[in-house]
Amino acid sequence: MDSHDRLLTAYVAGKLDRAQARRWDEHLLECERCWRAVREDRAGRQAAQMLRQPAPPGLADRVAFAVEMTASGGTTALRRSRSPAQPDHLGRRARWLLAGAGMVAAGVAITLTLILLPGGHQAAGLPAAVAAVARYAQAIPSQAGDQHSPSVGRAAPVEVGRPVTVTAGGQRIVLRTWRLGGAEAVVAVSDHPFPMPGRAQRVSNGGMAWSARLGRLGLYCLNGRTSELVAAPVPAAELAALAARLQVA
Amino acid sequence: MGADHRAFLDATIPHLDVVWQVARHAAGKGQDPEDLVQETFLRAYAGFGSYRGGNTRAWLAAICLNAARSQARRRRRRPWEVPGPALLDALPWYRADGAEGAADVADVVIADLEAEKVSRCLALLPEPQRVCIVLVDVAGYTAREAAEALGCPRGTVLARVHRGRRRLAQLLAEAGVSHGQP
Repeated sequence: MDSHDRLLTAYVAGKLDRAQARRWDEHLLECERCWRAVREDRAGRQAAQMLRQPAPPGLADRVAFAVEMTASGGTTALRRSRSPAQPDHLGRRARWLLAGAGMVAAGVAITLTLILLPGGHQAAGLPAAVAAVARYAQAIPSQAGDQHSPSVGRAAPVEVGRPVTVTAGGQRIVLRTWRLGGAEAVVAVSDHPFPMPGRAQRVSNGGMAWSARLGRLGLYCLNGRTSELVAAPVPAAELAALAARLQVA
Repeated sequence: MGADHRAFLDATIPHLDVVWQVARHAAGKGQDPEDLVQETFLRAYAGFGSYRGGNTRAWLAAICLNAARSQARRRRRRPWEVPGPALLDALPWYRADGAEGAADVADVVIADLEAEKVSRCLALLPEPQRVCIVLVDVAGYTAREAAEALGCPRGTVLARVHRGRRRLAQLLAEAGVSHGQP
């Protein structure tokens, strides 16, 4: 690029001082080559600017959720040590923003540590993909689980909010929240099987299924063409029925 | 404990939209731009503890471009989508110098452009020009920010943007996208 071209580049970028720009204005009246270059530059810029597109709704919440989950040690991509049992209100906020569940009564006390086993300790060796689903479902109020039993069998599932996509443990996971009467459950779907946690149990009559208990949260995984993991604060004995109501697999 | 994620999100989420613009055009074929945005922020979070400030937008753009390249390497393919044969077939032979024989695109007004065609013509540009146009014209970075993100002089960015815009305009004219009279 010679000095003439450098000046032309500076001119179209608006980087020349007033006197230089005036000289170039005069030059363009006489130089067809430079005038063509200026007009092509403007046309190209106009075309490129057409490609601007607002970020999809929910992307900021997805990113915040992923970061918050990582901060708590919930992904394998970015392993971090963490201090035990830190309350984390961002996760709760993000989850409800994601699920669009603002109608849920405020003030429900939820301690959003990552995954708590009954003793209050973080689950060791819990697969990242399962941890991500459990963390997402952790914000379901306990009341919902306590009241679900009378109505689960009758109510038609209603989706709450919109689906959320996360990536954890190398798995792309689509999370949907469903309400059945007074109960809520998260259904996670992935193309890859959710790894079976160490404390999980194989479900009889379902060689590809397993269930696990993480504190008050029950997990039920059924592997078919896709792998589907139901997470809800319900008794273990009712997980399979709940999954059936949600037409899992 | 890692970096304070609230401070990180406060500092970076306001720039989500520009990262999205970069990710949309940096994501390779079969790569979800939203996944790339998430990966960008997770990588940025991992490095936030050692981040010494500066231009956050430029920092995020550099991470996004690196993440796209890393993923593309893993897929053993170039990070930028190669235009389909249909568009290439539709384009007459393009004269690189843009001078003699090329249509005088300055005599036409770009109107009713279809974003998809613009995007596919953009994909025909050499990567350095393409990246600079995405940063400056699509995402709205200043030349100085783009230079910081790419680790090159500002003058280089300006030159690449200028050359890239001209070639983009010529490609669109050749493809018959531009039409009408001023």
